Amino acid sequence: MSTQSNVDPSDTTLVSAICSGDQQAMEQLYSRYSSLVYAVALRVLGDSGAAEDILQDVFMRLWRRPDAFDASRGSLGAWLAVITRNRAIDFLRKRRHEADIADAPEGDEPGTLRGAEWANMADRIRRVLTDMPDTQRSALEMAYFEGLTHVEIAEKTGEPLGTIKTRIRAGLQALRKAFNP
Amino acid sequence: MSVHEQFADDLALYALGALAREERLVIERHLQECPDCLQEVTRLQEAASMLPLSVSGSKPPARSRERLMAAIANEPQRTRVRPIRPRSSWLITSGWTAAAAAIIIVFFLLHQREDLRQRIVSLEADVAAQRGQLLEAKDLLETLTSADAEHFTLVGGKTPLPPHGKVIYVRARGTLVFLASNIPTPPPRTTYELWLIPTSGAPVPAGLFKPRPDGTATIVRPPLPPGVEAKTFAITIEPEAGSSAPTSRPILVGIPG
Repeated sequence: MSTQSNVDPSDTTLVSAICSGDQQAMEQLYSRYSSLVYAVALRVLGDSGAAEDILQDVFMRLWRRPDAFDASRGSLGAWLAVITRNRAIDFLRKRRHEADIADAPEGDEPGTLRGAEWANMADRIRRVLTDMPDTQRSALEMAYFEGLTHVEIAEKTGEPLGTIKTRIRAGLQALRKAFNP
Repeated sequence: MSVHEQFADDLALYALGALAREERLVIERHLQECPDCLQEVTRLQEAASMLPLSVSGSKPPARSRERLMAAIANEPQRTRVRPIRPRSSWLITSGWTAAAAAIIIVFFLLHQREDLRQRIVSLEADVAAQRGQLLEAKDLLETLTSADAEHFTLVGGKTPLPPHGKVIYVRARGTLVFLASNIPTPPPRTTYELWLIPTSGAPVPAGLFKPRPDGTATIVRPPLPPGVEAKTFAITIEPEAGSSAPTSRPILVGIPG
């Protein structure tokens, strides 16, 4: 595959090249998304070594099964981010010896972001999160990045169960309204 | 859209994966029956999927790239998965060619199979017909030649009947059936011999016979050369072992018809 063009090849082009065993295309995708994957893994695990393992695992999965990515359903970056979160939560679950942490279905991530719009999403999401009450944002992040159930969050924070439920619902609705008013 | 309010909080928790197992199963059962709540969950999951993009500021160490590329280089030669780009026209053309060839082969095999099937049906009909003819001939021969057969001759008066014989001969095949009645017992140490009298040449032996107590006698398919044109048939009395040429005057001589 030619990667000498002045215009960077699209994610779809690079994934197609990976399907043909193009290692150079793999390096380009790594350059684009390794920071995102690593950051998500580190956010969930809080352990740089484990985050590196997840990073390796996610990109090896992309190398072995590039056809698992469906470009019609969203961007590669968003897809990798969700895969990373699920892998990291799974790792976390094994580490805790817990079996009750829910996992978002892999390969069927609803509403992954599409096209170029995803590149600007990070800033917008951070702004929405920053604008939330700390308790609301914290509840959201504990559920999503730490894989805690609402009961565990209630125990951890000492807040009533109903309060945790309400905060999570309100936080998620705020995120949703920010992008789909 | 109308979401069931009693499930509203749990739908958000479900979208984030923050429900315990039992609660999750309850929601999943409800989602199977409620399209409105299912749509709400889908939208909440869309929102949740944005959360990973909020993290930043961490870059993996350089060794991670080297580790990954080394692992990829050491991967066994895997079967290439199909690229997601459109297939080339050559592949499409060869695909259609293969499909057309497959269709032709299928039609050829179907036609051949039908032809074979018809031949089998025809052969089965022939075999059935021949089996019927064979049984009929066998039955006829057994009736004619059976020792248990009772013979009745229909006559118009009480006058003793003269010896009488009937020959049925197929020249081309060299096959013959002889039926006789009112044949007197031959002298001791003698027998009757049937002769084929050809249109040219010497008489040909056509079988030995002795009459049954009732005076009847039969000869079936005696050894004869095929294609011998018969002028007539004759019966003589010969020594018990038979003769290669008549040694006495005929007691019966055939007439056509």
